[in-house]
Amino acid sequence: MMERWVVVARIAVRNVRRQLRRSVLTSSAMVLGIALLMFVRALEGGAHLMYVDTATRMGTGHIAMEHPDYIGSQDVEDRIAGADLDRAVQAVRASAGPDELVAVFPRVNVGGLAQSASSSIPVRIGGVDPTLERDVSFFADKVVEGRYLEPDDRLEAIIGAGVAERLRLELGSRLVLMAAGSGGELESQLVLVTGIFRTGVPEVDRGVVQLPLATAREWLELGDDATSVSVILSADRRTEAIASAIRQRLDQAGVAPEGLAVRPWWEAMPDLHAGLRADAVQTYIMLLILLAIVALAVVNSILMAVLNRTREFGVLRALGLNRRSVGGMVMAEGLILTLASGLAGMLLGLAISVGLFRDGVDISFLFGGDVAFAGAVVDPVIPPAILASDVIAIISIVVAMGILATLYPAWQATRIEPAEAMKTDE
Amino acid sequence: MTPHPNGDGPHPAVDTHELWKIFGEGSTAVHAVQNVSIAIEPGEFVALCGPSGSGKTTLVNLIGGLTDPTRGTVRVDGRDVGAMSERARAQLRLERIGFVFQAYNLLPVLSALENAEFPLMLRGAGREERRREVSKLFEHIGLGGLEDRRPGALSGGQQQRVAVARAVLGAPALVLADEPTANLDTQASDNLLEVMEVLNRERGVTFIFCTHDPRVMRRARRIIRLVDGHVERDAEKEPGTLPDWVLEPVDT
Ligand SMILES: Nc1ncnc2c1ncn2[C@@H]1O[C@H](COP(=O)(O)OP(=O)(O)OP(=O)(O)O)[C@@H](O)[C@H]1O
Ligand SMILES: [Mg+2]
Repeated sequence: MMERWVVVARIAVRNVRRQLRRSVLTSSAMVLGIALLMFVRALEGGAHLMYVDTATRMGTGHIAMEHPDYIGSQDVEDRIAGADLDRAVQAVRASAGPDELVAVFPRVNVGGLAQSASSSIPVRIGGVDPTLERDVSFFADKVVEGRYLEPDDRLEAIIGAGVAERLRLELGSRLVLMAAGSGGELESQLVLVTGIFRTGVPEVDRGVVQLPLATAREWLELGDDATSVSVILSADRRTEAIASAIRQRLDQAGVAPEGLAVRPWWEAMPDLHAGLRADAVQTYIMLLILLAIVALAVVNSILMAVLNRTREFGVLRALGLNRRSVGGMVMAEGLILTLASGLAGMLLGLAISVGLFRDGVDISFLFGGDVAFAGAVVDPVIPPAILASDVIAIISIVVAMGILATLYPAWQATRIEPAEAMKTDE
Repeated sequence: MTPHPNGDGPHPAVDTHELWKIFGEGSTAVHAVQNVSIAIEPGEFVALCGPSGSGKTTLVNLIGGLTDPTRGTVRVDGRDVGAMSERARAQLRLERIGFVFQAYNLLPVLSALENAEFPLMLRGAGREERRREVSKLFEHIGLGGLEDRRPGALSGGQQQRVAVARAVLGAPALVLADEPTANLDTQASDNLLEVMEVLNRERGVTFIFCTHDPRVMRRARRIIRLVDGHVERDAEKEPGTLPDWVLEPVDT
């Protein structure tokens, strides 16, 4: 039995080689198609990583912890008590390895008003710990005037460029922030503009103000409490696992999920997640249509090869190979061709992605300005990145293409009558 | 040597019963085989002759189960070929029957040696045994040194000999040979026929040849003459003789 498949495979391999020119022509379409898919996905994968990195560094983190009611109410009444905060931080440190954990920081996020001598506008106010956030904060990178917050700051604040414009503020200007405090009363706080940032995302630049966490707590009478805890990880790979480990530890520590929701970024930022998904789906649909056309060409080419060798298959049948073995031989030929092309295409895509465009592809020409995506702004120069999920998806596509493109020709080959072999005409 | 283990059973090697093969329908129908009932015993050496188009190839195809009869039955070793599943037929061909096709039909991607050993390989014979058998036979029929050539690099006669080698290696119970000597000179065809005679004599292999070649008919011990698809004459004869009726023109 084994011998049979050895000889069937040998004939299949030699037939692919014998028809090398045809094989190369057929496979080149597939190689290019797969390489294109690989490269486009690598660009999107690179963008994906950047979006996630940017979005998480804007403050949500890879994992966000908040009081479950706060998500809907945005009210400081629904906050995390100081004691739970400590347990949360401990749970994070115990759940993520030292190499995995980049930062964990509490925050006070509230909606309020910013008022200058000239006017007032609604803003999102973030109380941040400069010591903990300085190295990871996206805003720290985007300060265009003045400086980011420092550990000794008290009344200093950084504001978006749009806020500065609308309130006619400069470095050193004063402004008053107003928000509801823990008692439900409107409280106000005077701060000094010490830095102006420009992220490129209009909503952020026109509506975000940050001040030191300690100042925010005092102002809103929050004691040691906070509205959220953000966890920044070195990579996104284990986010899910770490999040559930944190949940488990919090449960053991007596912090019920009703008091503290632990959410990975894709739950905390569903828009971003949906955007990335839509991007991937769109690319796969477009390129699958392309690949379907390629597959038709492959079917055609394998079918021609089968029909040209009617007599040969008749001989094999007459010599005692059954239909299944003959069909298996054509399958083997087709799969050798398509799997090799698929592999070559993936390698080519990989070479283009990490070789040719290792330093990144500037996609700003596509947008004509800042590149923002689902509320996150990104550097328009995208270093391609090949995600494991894409590699798996592309391998599945290659295998599916190989099988689908070969089934019909193989079936045709099984229908060849052995008497064909006896025909005398060449 | 002992006779072929499966060669002498209680059944004829081949028997056909009221066998018909009609190609096409209506006014264009071709009656290629008409009402043929013959029995061929194990160990026979039979020549199937008749003018071109008389149905020799078709009959041999029917016997080997390569085409289905329009009517009638074919039995090989007493087993009804028409009633077998496709896999069982393939197995029967693999284990019991060697074919020599009218057009030699070697596999172009295999070397001469690989072509010849192909059925042995499918039957699961070991590499050593295969190589030994092939080289012995190749030496004998003048193919020594050509083992590694692809069919494209062999002459017609050489290809034909490889095809015969493929059919007879491993001594199948039945060899169906369609014009095995058509492209060979006297020397080469005598060589081949001698090999076949030895297999027939020593191992009881049954041979059925389709042939126009008087040299083959001379060696046969029975001649069946087909005309227009039916058996016109079926007679035993002494090896070495050639009755005059075999070459008579057909009267229509
Ligand atoms: N597949 C087919 N379809 C239609 N007619 C066929 C087919 N195969 C054979 N025939 C016809 O059947 C008849 C017998 O053909 P066959 O090949 O058996 O003759 P043959 O005796 O082997 O001839 P030759 O000596 O030339 O090889 C011929 O008239 C041929 O045209
Ligand atoms: Mg013929």
